[in-house]
Amino acid sequence: MRAFLLRRALHAVFVLWGVVSAVFFLVRLTGDPTPFLVDQTATQQEIAEARTRLGLDRALHVQYLDFLRSVPRGDFGTSIREKRPAMQMVLEHLWPATVELAAAALLLSTILAIPLGVASATHKNGAVDHASRLASLFLQSMPSFWLGLMLILLFAVELGGLLPAFGSGSLRHLILPAVTLAAAPLAQNVRLIRSGMLEVLQQDYVRTARAKGLAERFVIYRHALRNAAIPVITVTGLSLGFMLSGAVIIETVFSWPGMGRLIVQAVPGRDFPVIQAGVFVFALIFVGLNLIVDLLYTVVDPRVRLT
Amino acid sequence: MIRHRRSLILLLLLTWPLAAAGQPAITPPRTVDGVAIDPDAELVVALADDTTNMDPRIGMGSIRSNYIRQVFEGLVDVDAQGRPVPGLALSWKPVSELTWEFALRRGVTFHDGEPFNADTVLFNLDRFFRRNFDKWGLKDVLAATSFEKTYPFVTRWEKVDDYTVRVHTSEPAPTLWDFIGREPMVPRAYTLKNGVDGLNDRPVGTGPWKMVEWKRKTSMVFERNDAYWGTAPLFRKMRFQTIPEGAARIAALRAGQVGLIEGVPPFDAPALAQDARLKVVSSPQKLSCRLYLNARPKDKYDSGGKDGLFADQRVRLALNLAINKDAIVKKIFNGYALANASPVASVSYGYAAQEAYPYDPARARTLLAEAGFRDTNPLTLQLLFPAKHYGQSFDEMTPAVAEMLKDVGVQVTLKPVDFATLLQTASKGTLPPNGGFAACRTGNNLDADDYLRDWAAIAMINWAPYPPELMSLYTATRREVDAPKRLKLLADLQRQVRDWAPVVALYQEVKVYALSARVLRFAPLPELNMDFRGVAVKR
Repeated sequence: MRAFLLRRALHAVFVLWGVVSAVFFLVRLTGDPTPFLVDQTATQQEIAEARTRLGLDRALHVQYLDFLRSVPRGDFGTSIREKRPAMQMVLEHLWPATVELAAAALLLSTILAIPLGVASATHKNGAVDHASRLASLFLQSMPSFWLGLMLILLFAVELGGLLPAFGSGSLRHLILPAVTLAAAPLAQNVRLIRSGMLEVLQQDYVRTARAKGLAERFVIYRHALRNAAIPVITVTGLSLGFMLSGAVIIETVFSWPGMGRLIVQAVPGRDFPVIQAGVFVFALIFVGLNLIVDLLYTVVDPRVRLT
Repeated sequence: MIRHRRSLILLLLLTWPLAAAGQPAITPPRTVDGVAIDPDAELVVALADDTTNMDPRIGMGSIRSNYIRQVFEGLVDVDAQGRPVPGLALSWKPVSELTWEFALRRGVTFHDGEPFNADTVLFNLDRFFRRNFDKWGLKDVLAATSFEKTYPFVTRWEKVDDYTVRVHTSEPAPTLWDFIGREPMVPRAYTLKNGVDGLNDRPVGTGPWKMVEWKRKTSMVFERNDAYWGTAPLFRKMRFQTIPEGAARIAALRAGQVGLIEGVPPFDAPALAQDARLKVVSSPQKLSCRLYLNARPKDKYDSGGKDGLFADQRVRLALNLAINKDAIVKKIFNGYALANASPVASVSYGYAAQEAYPYDPARARTLLAEAGFRDTNPLTLQLLFPAKHYGQSFDEMTPAVAEMLKDVGVQVTLKPVDFATLLQTASKGTLPPNGGFAACRTGNNLDADDYLRDWAAIAMINWAPYPPELMSLYTATRREVDAPKRLKLLADLQRQVRDWAPVVALYQEVKVYALSARVLRFAPLPELNMDFRGVAVKR
């Protein structure tokens, strides 16, 4: 286990180095941020002076080496647009807003998916199964910005302000964005659990468990679900990564001050330091989540050994 | 000659607006227009974006201006019609051909109690023109407008007394009141103590609102400045809430969770206006949208040895005649835009209305043929188009314009790009000879010069430099201190620029706001910012 963790830590360092290097060069391929910072009547000389002041006139390899020296200290430079430390900006948006929203959506999408997926599998081709499959299809096909706007119209406008249309900071604010963000992963999880359960319920050990006279609920939730849940763990890990990093549409619709919108706004604004810091944090989250998923496999399936 | 000029200066002095001295504080009213108001109310205003900075020196773009001008003020204020009125200066006048004098308002304090006086103005002038940073121990910031480059003729400034400042120039500068007067003033002692980062994070101004909380990308909360020298807002608290999505802003307004929204899509405005709980108001803005065409000579851009294809005035005029601007205004903007043939925004000081370019495709074809572009040798145009930057209506308009140009035989290739790419192409001068781009320009200044200087020096948006005769006329407008004479020169220049047609004028924006019927006396400014002075919230 220790060897495994050490190897993964080493891999993580290489992955992160690769990611920050790739993003460093890629963002510079998109062009020069200086024209954003000057007046539209600025002359070429004024723009050139602004580039010098930002240090963007230095050779690319000099900029890169400077950047690599700063990264281990967590120093990604100062935002070109906001003149604040880029990493500080990213962390301010990661915690609590992004983590809060992702955690709520993850909770909703897994906790609801388990009984729905199990019920769908245990009542195959029955009314519950049809309703669950139809609802899953509906939730997966709906664009999240549309679902979000419909929820706002229903709960904030038509029902007399039952829930707030925008903002963050309380449980009431969290409900609509979390439901919108959870919709697609919930549907995916229901379908995965259903298909996993259908397969597992045919296995000999389930038949044996039933033959032993175990209660059906015990058979399903203790023996069958544990095995059917393995693909769900993989998908949930990836979904959480998506929720942490890619919830930009939900953040836009609900004015949620998360990290996704910060990074997406930084891209057209060519705010290199913020993009670099944001992508680094995303990469760190994905690397960490992958490690957690691998460790979880050993908990769920004792046959899996990490070497 | 000198005597003649002196008499003109005297005339100007007499005709320049003079304001009353500082008014004593009065008890705020409990009713407005016979309606009981809530002096302790909080008004939530939804905006599409947050500001990236609060230090006015860093930049005053359209979104940022809305935030900054609630807290900070300049020497020159603006009224609801866009006219200059006294702000932190009671009056301004040229005292000689090369000297302007500002008489400052007395009894004004910044939100932290620091007095506003001549020393404040001198400190700010030092910041504008990047002087004496060592003396002040102040960090420089990368400013959007480099005063020292744009106005190099401003030589020095001096304090005459605690409430009088003079600014000296090396040449007559009739617009000095505008470019210096409209720039917000920051406190000297507070900036020196807290640095420019402190000023940016916790701004302290003289304005009607004090900033009390700023959650980046989320909201900014203001409290009324009860010591404000002028007409204060008639409610206590205001929150600028960032809601990026237009439909979500409308939903929040209809749910009663915000009191006012900006940037209402033109086709949503009539439906909102029919709701008895809401009002819709609008005002022309200083946002002029145009097609910029490459008319630069080959030595003025990265040309590969070719002059810009649109150097011929007849070609540019033909393209102006090929655009049905009335159709654009009606069908795409639902009437919330203006067709303006003057190069100057209709709300600028010195604007002179010009004869509209008629929609005349036949004449456009004739002009193109005269310029040598016939069916066998058609005119080509590579049109860059910054999608998703100026809003949905702009994105619908540009392809429509391209189709109209195709109707008169121009082979248009429409190339959507992100705004940064457009800026880079324009700033580096890498448009192809047959290139052009659709873009809008705006400004923080009031004077027509803000627009007319577009074609004076090679800059991002100057792709058709003034020919010598227009340059002479433009220079004359920049040197004439006598106001009536200068207005005449400005009108003459606008007429000649209209005929010379450096760009294809498309439309001038009309900004639409929707607000709760509880919000009283809100009048949109023809400026980049909203003004809540005198605004009340019904009890």
